[in-house]
Amino acid sequence: MSVLRLAPRQAPEYRLDMSPLTPDRIAGQTLAAIKRIRLVYGGETIRVADLFTVSGRAGDHIRIEQGSGKFSGVGQGMQSGHIEIAGNVGDSVGRGMTGGSIQVTGDAGAWAGSGLAGGRIEIAGNAGDYAGAGRPGDRFGMRGGLLNIGGQAGDRAGDRMRRGIIIIRGRAGDYCASRIHAGTVIVMGRAGSYPAAGMRRGSLILAKKPARLSATFNSCGDLKIEFLRLLFTQLANMGDDLASLRQPRPTAHRFSGDLALGGKGEILLLGHD
Amino acid sequence: MCSPAGDGMNINGVVIDDTFAEAFPMKATRIIITAMTRKWAYHAANAIRGFASSVIACGIEADIERELKPDQTPDGRPGIAVLLFTMSTKDLEKQAPTRVGQSVMTTATTACYAGLDSDKRIALGSHLRFFGDGYQIAKLINGRRYWRIPVMHGEFICEESTGVTGAIGGGNFLVLAKTARQGLAACEKAVAAIQPLPGVITAFPGGVVGSGSKVGSKYKFLSASTNEAYCPTLKGQVKSALTPEIGSVLEIVIDGLDEAAINAAMRAGIRAACAFGPEKGICRISAGHYGGNLGPHLFHLRALLQ
Repeated sequence: MSVLRLAPRQAPEYRLDMSPLTPDRIAGQTLAAIKRIRLVYGGETIRVADLFTVSGRAGDHIRIEQGSGKFSGVGQGMQSGHIEIAGNVGDSVGRGMTGGSIQVTGDAGAWAGSGLAGGRIEIAGNAGDYAGAGRPGDRFGMRGGLLNIGGQAGDRAGDRMRRGIIIIRGRAGDYCASRIHAGTVIVMGRAGSYPAAGMRRGSLILAKKPARLSATFNSCGDLKIEFLRLLFTQLANMGDDLASLRQPRPTAHRFSGDLALGGKGEILLLGHD
Repeated sequence: MCSPAGDGMNINGVVIDDTFAEAFPMKATRIIITAMTRKWAYHAANAIRGFASSVIACGIEADIERELKPDQTPDGRPGIAVLLFTMSTKDLEKQAPTRVGQSVMTTATTACYAGLDSDKRIALGSHLRFFGDGYQIAKLINGRRYWRIPVMHGEFICEESTGVTGAIGGGNFLVLAKTARQGLAACEKAVAAIQPLPGVITAFPGGVVGSGSKVGSKYKFLSASTNEAYCPTLKGQVKSALTPEIGSVLEIVIDGLDEAAINAAMRAGIRAACAFGPEKGICRISAGHYGGNLGPHLFHLRALLQ
């Protein structure tokens, strides 16, 4: 497998739009051509070679040797291939991605996986606000794929998502899964206030009681939800990093809601028996 | 005693006729039924394979392919793989959701998943979801779509569709025995030998056909009728294929996903039946064919046993 390596010469001072550098966009290009690709850096445009040492060969794998919170739009609109970032990334990692995979070993900024339609984003650390959400003007948030956040997520994770799965291993901020049309959000830590507020359909699975629950959710009682067994078994089969998801039992307290919007969604509060 | 084996092929003294089984193309799918316990998965699987012995009148041939351990099923529960065969994809599209709806969904604690991947697919949950009356929920996990249908036992989960593949129906062999009791003993062993093999089913009750048929009839309205050449009671009345000592003929019909699977099943079944030998009343092994006009798949007994 050929790997293209990008090593920053220095830490960027301004926001750098990395969206032109995806495996599918640079496929077949020579190193010289890649070095000449222009990127928006703060208020100006620079060449890749101005900020990065480029080595390796263009293929289906890009490795960014040193991440930065200033790198925005990493993997944006990507259709195939794999991007690996050693360290942090800025906003909008994997935004609008339709295929392939992104692996971030550090934290991600806001809007991680915003509008994600396919593929898989792994963030080992924390994600900022609006992970998997839709940008203002977007009709929906995530429309497919898997966003796996190893740490915490900020507010409004999954806002307006329509399809796909978000897994948050740590805590989630307020209004997690707000206004979702469908899809599945799993929070293994504690979720903040008013999770799933304004949901139409979809599932929010919480391992712990949220800080506050909206009054527009009704209890359906403690139940054995066979879907949870299927979901966790299938997720555990999707990779070693998800194998621990085989552990939760399929018992949950089901809340249906948001009753203000038809009540066809659900919050499943996992049991601990 | 059986007539002594001549110069032709024999296994353990059982004569292998120089003939072939004639099989025909079918369409097939595999579904996986899971339940809270193995017992309830079997209840559903037995219901779906009921009245599914022959496409001639049942419209479908279906049987249990194998039992699945929890780590082999999509939801980690005990499961059963069932193979369904019909003459066309259209027939399968009609039969599979109907049978899953009436036999699996109605069985307590069950779920139903696709067991075969293919570009060509037929509906399962996408038809059955309407039973949810608007409360059904679709879930897409790892590229596969499932329907969660709220039911009185909890939730019936059914995969949206299942793959369809070209398959072969009508692989067969005949066990010619002195008595029905002896023939059945050998056939039970043959079916037991076929059962562990992947990709094949023996859809008739107990895996054994007691009334093998020929194509057509003197009656115009009947597409299949008794195979009088192999009926022991007609030995003196028709042009019989039976020698005087044969008192019972039983058939094992095998449907499979491909020729190799049927070959392996016929081989295992015939060898198991022949192990009884003439001293236990097993005289000959033959096969049913229609002069080579019915299907493109011919399974020559002597070739596959060599």
